[in-house]
Amino acid sequence: MFNLTELENDALIEIFNIGVGQAAASMSAIVHEAVHMSVPSISFIPRAEAARLLGARDAAEPERICGISQHYQGAFETEAILMFPEDKSLEIVRLMVGESVPLKELTEMEQEAMCEIGNIILNSCVGTLANIFQHELEGSLPQYHLGTSDEILTATGSGADTVVLMLHIDFLLEKHQIHGYVAFVLDITALHDLKDQINLYIARAMGQA
Amino acid sequence: MMQAKTVLIVDDSRVSRMMARQYIGGLHADWTVVEAATGEESLLKAREVAPDLVLMDVNMPGMGGIAAAELLRQEFPAMPISLLTANVQTATRERAAAMGVGFVEKPITEARIALLLSPLEAA
Repeated sequence: MFNLTELENDALIEIFNIGVGQAAASMSAIVHEAVHMSVPSISFIPRAEAARLLGARDAAEPERICGISQHYQGAFETEAILMFPEDKSLEIVRLMVGESVPLKELTEMEQEAMCEIGNIILNSCVGTLANIFQHELEGSLPQYHLGTSDEILTATGSGADTVVLMLHIDFLLEKHQIHGYVAFVLDITALHDLKDQINLYIARAMGQA
Repeated sequence: MMQAKTVLIVDDSRVSRMMARQYIGGLHADWTVVEAATGEESLLKAREVAPDLVLMDVNMPGMGGIAAAELLRQEFPAMPISLLTANVQTATRERAAAMGVGFVEKPITEARIALLLSPLEAA
């Protein structure tokens, strides 16, 4: 069983809060409007349950989602995933590139543009974490996925019964009423590495390192 | 009168190249914008057009932007190069500084492009 002390849990939330703040700023610069992000919530649950948690947010039936994932390794290993409702992705790309691009061209570049949006937002968050941990995190190229949250989480990682740290953050583009979320999935080995990094951070904060 | 310049945009994302091109064109309609989608292609294009500025993404398939910038720096010591990247890590900034290349964060905005172009306007 994996446990965090109250202080470690607090530090983890704080660190991801800072990362998410940077991601919100990047998202806002992409879509040219205010982006509201929630405080990260943390749960240690089987991967299948994490998928259900994400999928059951808005509807009785699993929502179709557009997901962009990147794998990071270094200080710790994680799969970071940015998710939007599938039917909103074209609207997001339109917000990014402006009105001058014709719809046909916009549709053609939708997948590629979503990958770039994911790349910017996820790196903004993960890069901030790396800076806080003072330890580099190397990221893969972004991958694009379409499906339910269950399908996307399965496609990006290990088996359904693997216990993972599910750290998710909701965000809202208020003017366009677009909800999305960012999730970080870590397996047990990565959790221990992350815990080590958190304790180093706490030690530095207390002037002990 | 300012002489027209050539800017080489290196990015595997078509939409990023398109946005950078759009902003450069908006600021300087007479400037030439050349695109490369990979680090390897950037070397060929740089030899071909001798750009006044190279804007280089970092995370690309094949040769990444750091390796490409290093090779460009060796071959063209005086060529202005700036990383334009989502990779905001201190380690990447430090690598850029050690190579003598600039560093600007994505997302690409008109203000960031204007900042990158301003030294060329003074030249």
